[in-house]
Amino acid sequence: MASRPEDRVELAPSLGRRTVRGDSSPGVSEDAMWVSAARDGDRTAFGRLYHRYARMVHGVLLAKVPIGEVDDLVQDAFMMALRRLSTLRETQSFGAWLATIARNLANDYHRRSVPEDQLTDDTSDNYIACGNTCGDNEGPATEILEAVRSLPDAYRETLILRLVEGMTGPEIAARTGMTHGSVRVNLHRGMQQLRAKLNPNPSSNTPDQETP
Amino acid sequence: MDTGNNQTENKPLARRDDYLWDGSGEPDPEIQRLEALLGRFQHDRPAPVFPDIAPDRRWAFIPGRMRLVPVVATTAAAVLAIALVTFLVYGRKTVPVTVVGWDVSRVAGTPRIGSNVISGKETSRLGVGQILETDHQSRASLRAEDIGQIEVEASTRLRLLAMGAGLKRIALDRGTIHTYIWAVPGQFVVDTPSAVTVDLGCAYTLQVDDSGAGLVRTSLGWVGFKLNGHESFIPAGAACATKPKVGPGTPYFEDASPEFRAALARFDFEDSRSQQRAGDLAIVLGESRKRDALTLWHLLTRVDEGQRVLVYDRLRELAPPPARVTKEGILRLDQPMLDLWWNELGFDDISVWRHWERSWAGASTPVREK
Repeated sequence: MASRPEDRVELAPSLGRRTVRGDSSPGVSEDAMWVSAARDGDRTAFGRLYHRYARMVHGVLLAKVPIGEVDDLVQDAFMMALRRLSTLRETQSFGAWLATIARNLANDYHRRSVPEDQLTDDTSDNYIACGNTCGDNEGPATEILEAVRSLPDAYRETLILRLVEGMTGPEIAARTGMTHGSVRVNLHRGMQQLRAKLNPNPSSNTPDQETP
Repeated sequence: MDTGNNQTENKPLARRDDYLWDGSGEPDPEIQRLEALLGRFQHDRPAPVFPDIAPDRRWAFIPGRMRLVPVVATTAAAVLAIALVTFLVYGRKTVPVTVVGWDVSRVAGTPRIGSNVISGKETSRLGVGQILETDHQSRASLRAEDIGQIEVEASTRLRLLAMGAGLKRIALDRGTIHTYIWAVPGQFVVDTPSAVTVDLGCAYTLQVDDSGAGLVRTSLGWVGFKLNGHESFIPAGAACATKPKVGPGTPYFEDASPEFRAALARFDFEDSRSQQRAGDLAIVLGESRKRDALTLWHLLTRVDEGQRVLVYDRLRELAPPPARVTKEGILRLDQPMLDLWWNELGFDDISVWRHWERSWAGASTPVREK
């Protein structure tokens, strides 16, 4: 299968952030190869899967659990995947399978301990997670992150993968198993809602409620 | 209803999102700012040390034990025989296992799929052709990973009609559902006895009473209501009623004045004489606020020619039309001009709906129960 043009786009090099490539078709075949090798005991192959999917798992979890818990749960997700690798029937679906493991871990986390409404108040965890990397913009950054995390599930996950993890839409689709259409809609609508949250009183053309 | 301009109308939307989608196109400064701020939370931990992986020996073990083949074959034959007998004895009583469908979990009481009661914490599957019913004390929750979630209230009956790659369709025969949909706009469709509801947004509540009359209330995004060419667009905060044999009424914001809503309901569903209709239309126009441009835009196509100019004048006062929209064009119901004016109202881009109409022309009529 030929790769699509949009799978080869580099993201905003001026930002100096990690360059990402969406590689749905070759990536899927490589995944299958690496999954098979890992099943045969090749730890290096599993390490490659980790490097390819760690940001996706991190983003999925960051959308659902307090920041301070995310890194531990990322590791838990990969350890669980490692243990259950032999049960994965469609090796090319590794990404979607792994995303489901991550979402289930997040759900388990909330069932075990934390009321969901603490998500938006967890500034202490935010601070711990920032460590020394947080600068003067820590306040706005955490506020924006909380605004993203207050969006509906599908939007917050997709937007975090795009805005935090620096993945492109095609790459999000390739990694999570979602369709391009779903990802695009989630990004578009999620961004619309995020803008509304961040700019609650824009001078837009939206009709107001006053009698003219 | 196809305007012929749909492709050109869709392009600006796509171009606007190119940077958000894949970083191409003209950079959006706000998104760049968000990327710069949020990038600090990006994953940056090195890979942990993974334990040794025990090789999967499922296939390696077979060649060395070929002598076990007769034993395995005999065992398999025995299992098959038992399965066959079980099927013959109990097969007719067993609900067929469906692969495609919605996961159903009990919220309260004893919801049923067909005759099977969903109890405890077990998750059941609602397959195509099956019926989910709740009694006056039961509630249930449906979820499908790629589509969304539906909360089913008490005294509700719904059927799953289709679960294809492109169109997901259920029928709400009676009761109340709250839907939160993340499938692509236009893919999730709910039939009611008096209209078809098309998801173009995210969250809405749909009620159908025993007479088949319905009410949709949108809380997020927007929803299309359609029956045989009669269509209504309902954005967040608005509602729209529908009646058997009439179809969707005119949508309205729920914070409109009681006089406005009462007159609109009479205009949509009760008035039979032109004098009554004129009186109620006058109340609607007189009570309308800027926000009620939603209602007036819909009324343009629902009033007679003599009344249309009144609606046009009031709508123009509330929300001036864009430059390319003329009074003459609106009075002759020029569809591209109507669409352009709608887009100016600030609810959402109507091209999403037009795209759905082209793709699913056959989905605008409810599927009859067999």
